[in-house]
Amino acid sequence: MTKRVLLHVGTPKTGTSYLQDVLFRNRPVLAEHDILYPAERFDDQFLAALDLMRLPWGGLETEAVGAWDRLAGRVRAWDGTAIVSHEILATASRSQVGRALESLGHRDGVEIHVVLSVRDLVRQIPAEWQENVKHRRTISYARFLEEIRDPQRDSRIAAWFWGVQEVPDILDRWGHDLPPERIHLVTVPAPGGPPSLLWQRFSRVLGLDGLELDLEAERANPSLGVPETALLRRINQAVIHDLDPTDYRPLVRELLAHQTLSRRTDTPRLALPPEVHPWAQDLAAAWASEVKDRGYDVVGDLADLVGAPPVQTWADPDHPREKQVAGAALDAISALLLENARLRHTEERLAGELHEAHRALERAYLRPTYRFREKTVRRLQTSRAGRGALKAYRVARGRSSRSE
Amino acid sequence: MTSGPEDTPGVRRAWGWLRHLQAGGTTAWADWSGPGPAGGRVLPGAQQLELLRRLNLAGRPSEALVHRVLTASAPGRGRPDLELDGAVDRPRFGPPPVDPADLPDDELLRVAANLLAEDVVAGEPVPEPGPGWVRPWRRRHRLLGDPALAVPLRTELIARGRPPGGRNAVVLVLGTDLGQMLADVWEHRCFGDGGATWRRWLDSLARRDVLPPRADLLRIAEAWTGRPGRGRVEVVLDPAAVPDLVGVRRLSPPPPPVAADAADLARRVSAVLSLLVTPPRREVLLRQTLRPRLAGAAGPPVVLPEEHRAWVHDRAVRMRDGLLNAGYAVHGDPDALLPRERPGAAEPSDAGVLSLALRLLLERDAAATGHTDHGSHDGGHDGEETTR
Repeated sequence: MTKRVLLHVGTPKTGTSYLQDVLFRNRPVLAEHDILYPAERFDDQFLAALDLMRLPWGGLETEAVGAWDRLAGRVRAWDGTAIVSHEILATASRSQVGRALESLGHRDGVEIHVVLSVRDLVRQIPAEWQENVKHRRTISYARFLEEIRDPQRDSRIAAWFWGVQEVPDILDRWGHDLPPERIHLVTVPAPGGPPSLLWQRFSRVLGLDGLELDLEAERANPSLGVPETALLRRINQAVIHDLDPTDYRPLVRELLAHQTLSRRTDTPRLALPPEVHPWAQDLAAAWASEVKDRGYDVVGDLADLVGAPPVQTWADPDHPREKQVAGAALDAISALLLENARLRHTEERLAGELHEAHRALERAYLRPTYRFREKTVRRLQTSRAGRGALKAYRVARGRSSRSE
Repeated sequence: MTSGPEDTPGVRRAWGWLRHLQAGGTTAWADWSGPGPAGGRVLPGAQQLELLRRLNLAGRPSEALVHRVLTASAPGRGRPDLELDGAVDRPRFGPPPVDPADLPDDELLRVAANLLAEDVVAGEPVPEPGPGWVRPWRRRHRLLGDPALAVPLRTELIARGRPPGGRNAVVLVLGTDLGQMLADVWEHRCFGDGGATWRRWLDSLARRDVLPPRADLLRIAEAWTGRPGRGRVEVVLDPAAVPDLVGVRRLSPPPPPVAADAADLARRVSAVLSLLVTPPRREVLLRQTLRPRLAGAAGPPVVLPEEHRAWVHDRAVRMRDGLLNAGYAVHGDPDALLPRERPGAAEPSDAGVLSLALRLLLERDAAATGHTDHGSHDGGHDGEETTR
């Protein structure tokens, strides 16, 4: 029986990709210390979250069938501590949370802890808009801000944003059945702090202090600047109706956004418009106060939630400097040309192989011996004696030689 | 969803309404004022409660179905489970509460599709006839094109010992008027991968000026022409010509298209099924479990909306001319490809789809529990029903 389950349920853009990468790559070391990170492939826990919440994800959900039950089964079978982590779990409904806790053994005496890593809204709001753009959306930054500030939250974008970002509501859903001391809030340090500080906080709450883990990151979810995000949005507007999600992911999200445009780090960074800044800080302050009142375990500093003051010079991604966008576009074209050249070479090679296969097939059909054998088989099939002879031949040969 | 331990007049009213609905009541939330004791981990969301009220209006759900509705979550992205307006004060956090009667049918359908998908997984597929003894003298053929024509004929011929394929098999590309073929392909997708709504799907095709592969007869014919080991390619626009071409005396007519609302419901269920079963299993369940149940649903099938007729006519003319210019043998009148006026619905209606979903849930529930009373009732058997 698992003694303890640490359930890290979000939020997005709080170093979760890095944490999950470290946990995944260090599974053997963790296992030596009785800690299970149940995943055979890197995205196993993402697929489990899709399955738990019945969440379609551009076709990936077909790989998620039964993934949560498999994960929960492994956790229940483990006699130690298990860590489950995915940021989209933040949006689970109370029913789904109930199912998750029960399947992990909540009613059977397993000690379940919920961990939520949180970052100030000053950084989270632009980061979420950028994630939307990296997931095929074409919404402008101004419209995005308008939608998430609408108290009705009718739009899908607003529903998703608050579902994964509204800290007190997430903890209401996930913490409903748990005492406050088993709910842990990890705050992402303010900008300018030591880079290792966030990891130290994760390490402490997940009980990883003292373990010799390889902390070199292989996977991350890099951010884009203002002109790069603006370019990506324009690309979405141009191709979104013609490019399937299965093509969009490798070509736009991976090749253009992550591998190409994220390397341009000398352009203005996304930020909150100065007029929205006070609203975001007031809201974060209300959240911090609520969290404090509820008595959760805070790892870090609730003051981190308030966020940095407004930037001196704000760059509007809806009206970027066209020269900077053109620079990003050149980089994008170069990357696509190089990728296209690589694919052309692959296509030429495969076309050659296919041509050879066709020729071999034609030769097989046209060979006189093939036609003779076919004619013989047809003739034999017309009489009982012939069919008997064929059957005997096939038994002797050991396999069927019927053409279909 | 309101937490269990809270105890305010609004929350007690909400628990009272829940009890009323569990007992088969149909009173709207706005007209309800009776209190009730807390009776569960959490109070279900407005979507689940309103769906249960609609089920009560449509029939008499069993205790098991009531439980499933109340513990279901809406799959996919959309609004989260919502609080009842008036049950709680305006909460400081979370989405604003709603009057469940104001929820659009689409929100209720998200929950209903989730439950229906579970029913489909639990149901027994209607078995298709297995392959018959293969006739050595059969005429080698391959059936392609409009899935509403090709798929049932292929299934029947396999059962009659005439499977497709074989050396020098004649390739028969089946089609009808292009408007109907588009509707057939969309319906086929609804019982397969699911995907976009009828209008969004058509909009996307028209914007890109492309036809779906199964309705693009010219492209199919070109793709199969000259393949090694294949016979000639012929286009069949006259269904009466098919039996002769495949070497049988007669074939069953293809089943009629399902109602627009039924196809759209299958599309929504398909999206949820993709999270419950593997893609091949999903297709079997949709075609052999859900489709038979939807086949008799009343309502017109989808037809081309007015705004797409000119584009479809233009594409049909190009297809006809292309097939004739390329010299393919065409059985039937080539002008049969041009779209014709047909009676039907330009798009499904959410209200119709929801009504159908409720009917299917109740039918399945009755079959599972042996309970046959489907008539609507007034409800409120043991719940306190009052009017504010």
